[in-house]
Parts: sequence; C-alpha cells; structure tokens
Amino acid sequence: MPLPSTMTPIATATLTSSASTVAFTSIPSTYTDLMLVLTGKYTGVDDSSPALRFNGDSSSNYSTTYLNGSAGSATSARESNGNTIYVGSMSGDQSTSIAHILNYSNATTYKTVLSRGGHTTYRVRAYVGVWRATPQTITRIDVYGNGVYNFDVGTTLTLYGIKAA
Amino acid sequence: MGAISLKYKSKSGNLTAPGDVDPGAMIPIATVLVGVGGQSSITFSSIPSTYTHLQIRLFARSTAANVAGGVTLQFNGDTTGSNYYSHYIQADGSSVASGPNANASIHYDISGVNANASVFGAMIFDVLDYSNTNKNKTSRVLGGIDNNGGGRINLTSGLWSSTSAITSIALAPFSGNFAQHTHAALYGIKRAGA
Amino acid sequence: MAYTYSKIATYTVGSGGLANVSFLNIPQTYTDLVVKASIRTVASPAQVYADMTFLINGNTSSVYNWKTIRGTGSGTASQSTSNNASGYLTQLTGNGATANTFGSLDMYFPNYTSSTYKSFSADGVGENNATLAYAELAAELWAKTDPITSFSFNATGVFAQYSSFHLYGIKAEL
Repeated sequence: MPLPSTMTPIATATLTSSASTVAFTSIPSTYTDLMLVLTGKYTGVDDSSPALRFNGDSSSNYSTTYLNGSAGSATSARESNGNTIYVGSMSGDQSTSIAHILNYSNATTYKTVLSRGGHTTYRVRAYVGVWRATPQTITRIDVYGNGVYNFDVGTTLTLYGIKAA
Repeated sequence: MGAISLKYKSKSGNLTAPGDVDPGAMIPIATVLVGVGGQSSITFSSIPSTYTHLQIRLFARSTAANVAGGVTLQFNGDTTGSNYYSHYIQADGSSVASGPNANASIHYDISGVNANASVFGAMIFDVLDYSNTNKNKTSRVLGGIDNNGGGRINLTSGLWSSTSAITSIALAPFSGNFAQHTHAALYGIKRAGA
Repeated sequence: MAYTYSKIATYTVGSGGLANVSFLNIPQTYTDLVVKASIRTVASPAQVYADMTFLINGNTSSVYNWKTIRGTGSGTASQSTSNNASGYLTQLTGNGATANTFGSLDMYFPNYTSSTYKSFSADGVGENNATLAYAELAAELWAKTDPITSFSFNATGVFAQYSSFHLYGIKAEL
C-alpha cells in the first residue's frame, strides 16, 4: 500500500465484463479535489461522451459546455438542464478521458467539473460542467456510457483524491 | 447496471496534519480560502525553489458583473504589463475563438455575480521549470465555468518575460474581487532526482 | 516504498541542443504515465511554433492516430489523421518565438502496461510575445497492444538547450 500522499487512489475498476455504468460509492470527504481517469472503449462504434452523475441525482441539475475538434474544425456546443455531465469522449476504439472535480466536498457551492479527452475516430473535447443540486459533498459518482453500448471489457476507471495543504 | 467489483482503499490515505511531508512527486505547498467579505487577490509568496513545476488548482467566483471572467496571474510582484502576454482558445457554447491578450496575463474563466449564486469556476494552472533562470515563464491553464445556459471552457497560455525564478504568484479577478468560498491551492511537483 | 505520484526520470538538454530525447526501459510497475515537458526547438528557417514527433517503443509502424484542436492566437483549427508512422504534437515553441521562451506540454498515458491499444490525452501551449502562439488539445492513439517501455521525442531541428522532459508514474495501488 502506498504511503499517505497528496494524490491518492480511492478506487479503481478494470472491467472483466461489459457494463453500462460504473459507480464509485462512499467517497471519503477528506480530499480537496477528485480526479477521474477513464480509459477504454464501448462495445460498439458510437460517437458519444461518457457522463457523470453525482449522489444519485437524476434530476435536470446538470449542464455542460464544450470545445470540440472534429472533421477539420473547432466548434462549441452546450447541453443545459441535463441529467448528467459529459466528460471526454469514447467510441469503439480506445480513448482516454480525464475529469477534475474541484472542491467536491464543499457543501456551500455547486460542483464544477473540468475535463479533457477524446478518441481518434471522431473527436477531441474539453468540457466544463456544473451540478446544480442543493450544495452538498459528493459521496457517489456514477459513470455512464452512452445508453446504446456498454463500457467494454478492459475499460478502466480510477478515482483519485488530491489533498491541498 | 452491470455488477462491478470496485477495489477501494481501506484507509483514507490523507495527510495526518498540515505540513506533513509527502514523499511523492506532488507536494501541497499552500492553500487560501477566501472568507466573508471576499478579497481582491490571492498571493502565494515565499515559494521555495526546491520543486521543478508548480500547479495551482483554483475554484473561484468574483464580484464582477459578468457570468464568466478572467483571472490575472502575476509573478514576483511584477505589475509591468509589457512583461506579460497571454493567448486563449475559448468556447462559449456556440462558437470558438482564439486570440491574444497583449501586455497582460489573463486566463479564463471564473464566475461573476451574474452567474447563478452557487456557481464557481474551476481552473488548473501549470508552470513548468518555474525556478529555471534560463527561461522565461510559460503558464498553461485549463479552465471554465458553466452556468446552465452560459459559460465558457478555455485553454489559455501566458508568458512572463523574465528569467527570474518565481518566488511569488498573485492571482486576481480581471475585475472585481474574489468572492467568499473561493479556494486556491498551490502544489509543487518535483523532478526525478530531487 | 510505493508513492502514488512518483518521479521516474528527467532529462534536460545541454549546450548545443539535441535532436532526440528518449526515455528507455520504463518500469512496468505503475498504472499511468505522465510526461511534462518544457520545450523549445531550433530549426532553420526559424518558426514561432514547432512540431515534435514521437515514437513509442521505437515503433515506426503506421499505427499512430490523432485528433487535435488548435488555437493560433488568431484562429482555430482541428486536425484528424490516422495510420501514421509516428505520433505528433505541434504546439511547441520554436526559435522564431521570443527568446528564452519555452512551450509547456502535458501528456497523460493511462494503463500503459495493459494489453489494449494505448490512448492518451495531451494539452500543450507555445508562448510568444506577439499574436501568434499555439495552444492545442490532443487525443492520440497508438494502435498496439504492447506495454509501453520507451518514449522517443524528436524535434523538428533540435531541442534547444534547457528544454526539459520529465517522466512520472502514477500508481493506482490501493
């Protein structure tokens, strides 16, 4: 087991069977920020983004603004009043998405997520998203695929805590 | 939902007290939490030269009359505008822009008072080789805010035309003050052999 | 002792510059790799921005793919290409930029020892005391299932003195 450190792995999962969702539960409140690293692929070819939901909140409390690069041009779009926050991008070939949730245990503010990632088939993106439920500590993160295909075997999700001085 | 067996840490792994030495590569140096009444800037001073890179993780809101606004980054108390230059690529939900900010060190975005009251922006600043006296200092920043119908995501860069080792960093909203609950954390990252 | 975020190796380019910087025999004991680099290149003719290519495991097969978004200080673009014989990044600082100025690059390679293809995420900037300066986000793929054991970075021209490359390992050990 590693020594206590600034950056600490909280939980990790490498799928041995495909899954539509992966949940991180009982997240301790003792860190400052969270970092989620998602690497893998769907079971089928589809151009979509994995998404996060916090504390089981499935209401329309999420929104995401993103910078998109695909097909030779840089574009931007937004989803408002959604029930998840998009992070990164995934398809039927290997991709990487990295999401940062700053001040996740602050019970007085909404939660902002910064992420970047992409796959070389379709697109690369940077995202900012906000979860607008009544301010609360994040204790659970559900990571969703695209609802059509599952996360494939071998997809790995790791949640790290980062602790400030 | 598929059944997934997650492996969890059996202990929290957090440092047991402020100032505990982290033997890894990434070390927390200092933290500022803005209290009631806000403050005009956040300054990290007396930054030791014993690391190789610096990272600031900022969660912030300003008192400016905007939804999203920039943060200025100044080093070693240098307020001479012509010593700075910055650039951005910025997406606002409908279009993308890239541009310069001449004679300024501006990185984007944090929220202002026109954003929902509980929305804060997030920014991650990286400065590599901050104490190298052969190099000007380059900052690289990913940041943004979303306001459920507004907001921006940005990749910005900044140049401080000085080869001095960085010993202090001042962050300030481009306009207004930092609001209560703004949180800034400074980390040092070591190089191999250090 | 096992640390979550560990320093593996650092290389700083000396006087005269260097065309190639490599990290060889990368330990297989981490989960992810991070490369941080502060880079300037010297080429003729001098350019404000500079390209860098890289090889994984010395592999020159046509298995490198990438998709990028780029800002130039006045415009934006996106590039997509596949089946290349090397990886590619293009937002570094060249010797046509302001003197003593270096670009800043961060590359994150998750699961580098796995038996899947290797994808990674990168962002980088190259600064300049003028309008023209590049910033880029990249999604890249090395379509090989081998574990990563080496990186080789190649400049257009040479990497200038004081360019530095830093390799870190992140261990998701619970």
